[in-house]
Amino acid sequence: MTGSVPSEEVPQPGAVPNLHLGRVHRSELANGPEVVVVPRPTVPRVELRVSVPAGTAAGDSAAAAELLRMGIPLGTRELDQEQLAERLQDLGGALQVHQDLDRLTIAAAALSEAESELYHLVASLVREPDFPRDDLAIEKAKLVEGLRSARATPHFPAHEALGELVYGRHPYGRREATEGEVARTGRRALLELHRRTFTPSLAQITVVGDVDPRSTMRRLRSAFSGWEGPRKGWKAPRVRAMTHQDLLYLERPGSVQTVVVAASSGPTMGEPGHIAFSLATAVLGGGFTSRMMANLREDKGYTYSPHARVEAHDRDGLASASMEVRTEVTAAALAELRHELARLATAPVPEEELATTRSYLEGARLVTLQTQAGLASALAQVRGLGLDHRYLERYQTELERCSAEDVMAAARRYLAPTRMTTVLVGDESALPGLEALAPVRRRRPRGG
Amino acid sequence: MARVTPTTDAVISSFRLDNGLEVVMSPERSSPTVGVGVFYRVGFRLEPEGRTGFAHLFEHLMFQGTPRVPKPHFGNLINSAGGLLNGFTRHDYTAYFEILPTSALEMALFLEADRMGMLDINAGTLRNQLQVVEEEVRVNVLNQPYGGFSWLWLAQHAFSRYPNNHNFYGEFSDLEAASVDDAVEFYRSWYGPGNASLVLVGDFDPAAAVQLVEHHFGPVAPRPEPPQRDLEEPLPASRREHRHLDPLAPTAQVAVGYPTAPFGSEDHLPLALAARILTDGRASWLQRALVREQELLLHVAGGPLYPIGDSFEFRGPALFTIEATPREGVPTENAVLALDRELDRLAAHGPTEEELHRARRRELARHHATTDSRLGRLTTLGVMAAVHRQPELVDLLPQRFAEVTPAQVAEAVGRWLRPERSTVLHWLPGAGGDRR
Repeated sequence: MTGSVPSEEVPQPGAVPNLHLGRVHRSELANGPEVVVVPRPTVPRVELRVSVPAGTAAGDSAAAAELLRMGIPLGTRELDQEQLAERLQDLGGALQVHQDLDRLTIAAAALSEAESELYHLVASLVREPDFPRDDLAIEKAKLVEGLRSARATPHFPAHEALGELVYGRHPYGRREATEGEVARTGRRALLELHRRTFTPSLAQITVVGDVDPRSTMRRLRSAFSGWEGPRKGWKAPRVRAMTHQDLLYLERPGSVQTVVVAASSGPTMGEPGHIAFSLATAVLGGGFTSRMMANLREDKGYTYSPHARVEAHDRDGLASASMEVRTEVTAAALAELRHELARLATAPVPEEELATTRSYLEGARLVTLQTQAGLASALAQVRGLGLDHRYLERYQTELERCSAEDVMAAARRYLAPTRMTTVLVGDESALPGLEALAPVRRRRPRGG
Repeated sequence: MARVTPTTDAVISSFRLDNGLEVVMSPERSSPTVGVGVFYRVGFRLEPEGRTGFAHLFEHLMFQGTPRVPKPHFGNLINSAGGLLNGFTRHDYTAYFEILPTSALEMALFLEADRMGMLDINAGTLRNQLQVVEEEVRVNVLNQPYGGFSWLWLAQHAFSRYPNNHNFYGEFSDLEAASVDDAVEFYRSWYGPGNASLVLVGDFDPAAAVQLVEHHFGPVAPRPEPPQRDLEEPLPASRREHRHLDPLAPTAQVAVGYPTAPFGSEDHLPLALAARILTDGRASWLQRALVREQELLLHVAGGPLYPIGDSFEFRGPALFTIEATPREGVPTENAVLALDRELDRLAAHGPTEEELHRARRRELARHHATTDSRLGRLTTLGVMAAVHRQPELVDLLPQRFAEVTPAQVAEAVGRWLRPERSTVLHWLPGAGGDRR
């Protein structure tokens, strides 16, 4: 099986083409928001993103951040949630609100013939959401139910514990809402939070679709002109990430698998070393051909979907490697993962494997950015991190510049077994053999 | 009220090779990527008795190498060309796809033709992928609250015949009994060119693509036409109720399944729109009445083949499923009664013209969003080609939906979404249910 080579008849593809976004129009509105418009008339739709700094990084409780997110589709004084939903459907529209550790983003879309109406609708939500008490009570009940269901999964307690271990008291470590916080957050608190959060001077607007940039700017000005707010900005404090060499084991009696997550903090998008850090992480666990996939799945059959990725925050990039393995092979699987981490940190990645991983990352990006929605979301993300569209176009060159030495250096610095903080969630019968790898600290998961 | 705008989609063309392979092409050249998909007309329903889960297990074997391209080169070649790949198994088809830069089109065609022509099925890779699939079942079903909920469990109670009512992910005992001979036989029966649709979307020149397809797929030997299977089910005469205890679930949920109108029947498109009108968004009937006004539920969602398919992904019997999460203290029985009342009301009064219009607009918007994505376009074309042999229908749907009237929606709901036809799955917190 190994050592075999594919037939010479396999047609050879060319290099992955460079990404060209075409004309990108940058501007700003008089009241502050920076605007980027990219015409992409593939289908008669328009995608809109409006982002503001928000969330636990701003010192808000995770519950308040989450309720602000859930409260926006509840409408305004003039337009209740059902009227809002009806209007959106009339426009062939959709509305979602996302919240990550640093930012809240309203993601909306409509048929391009309804471009103006879409902007006015979203602007009304940005300016004057109402959070009616009765409707808010329903959202709070949904959030509590969602938290209870999430706590019943093995993944939620794993990520909650990892956040606490890696970030300590930093806001990034407090990412999960508690039921107590949900109960204490009312309409008045949300109105106040909205007032502080939705500041036009810090907002970023992204439009991608079947649009004419000039008329788009005119329409945005008309829709968002009445938006005012404080000019105060903030950013999460610097991260001083911690590493825990012992293994944290969380009890989940009767679990038929163990969830294993190992994480490490490194440079975020745009910072020196980020590309090497994310390339190393992709060699470890990105795509079909990664080392975790080849070893833990395709060779050992321990797990279905082992993977590793870097999540980019304002203040750091968090690499995490995760897998779900049947209980009896927990220690063996973790030993293999640590073996792969050590190998990455001590031996250069062979050039062919590195080229495959680069191409995989480049191709995946090309495909993601091919749709109006994918491009709008990617632009909103990099802009949020203080970068611009050129970062998306430059990415490929930077990947190609990144050598096997760079990757090994990044792996040694950020992904060596001693740099990773590891949490396991499973039945206690997973424990035998773990002590041989590292000291094990054992506790129950937190309650709600 | 705005008019439904005509679509501006890429042209769809199709042809057939001598070995029976159907080829569907839809070029769209705005960005330098192509999608290649092969959709085989075999899914959960056709797996042999005693081999539950086999269609999906076999899907995994399609990535395990061939005599010409041994494991693990298939994935490596695609990734090194900058491509993404995957596969998925559903009731009536199994799909394999690659999305890659245009220059890798021929490589993808070569690789798909190669694994259609000859697969290396051996005990080592079968054993390995059996373990992988068991871990997949553990992560998605056995180790999660509400694991597999309505998509995996409801049909087992709602239908009476093996093709429709077995465990589609597979009993572990059946998966473990699967042999190399089973796989060889399954491959021989269902994976021939005459039982497949090849779909190309994106940035390619159609004339050149026809040549490439003929060059690579033309030599694949035809196989005997698979036998027709009878999938039909008697319609139930009274409501069936089943209780499932889940030790991981913190709160109760309930699912109600109704046999739904067959593809192409007069009620088919009206029921597709009824699904939107009933459950899609905060202005939908069920969310408005049961979540906001009566405060009985926290969540409600549903539709034909929900949550793993839509109105077009099935050929045999299928369920129109509604899933609901009652509020704390509301028994699942009350939630079901309230649901019955709302469905009665819709059947009696029908939606307003405005409600129907909004449902059509949502379908049109969804059509455009799907068309914009290589994978979305590939999947809708592949399903309509492989399952219904009507790929061109994909671009005609917005117009077909525009012709549906409120009275048709009311009648379809009255005929199909009836309590006596339904199966109710009460999913309750507690130990000792029929977890496997």
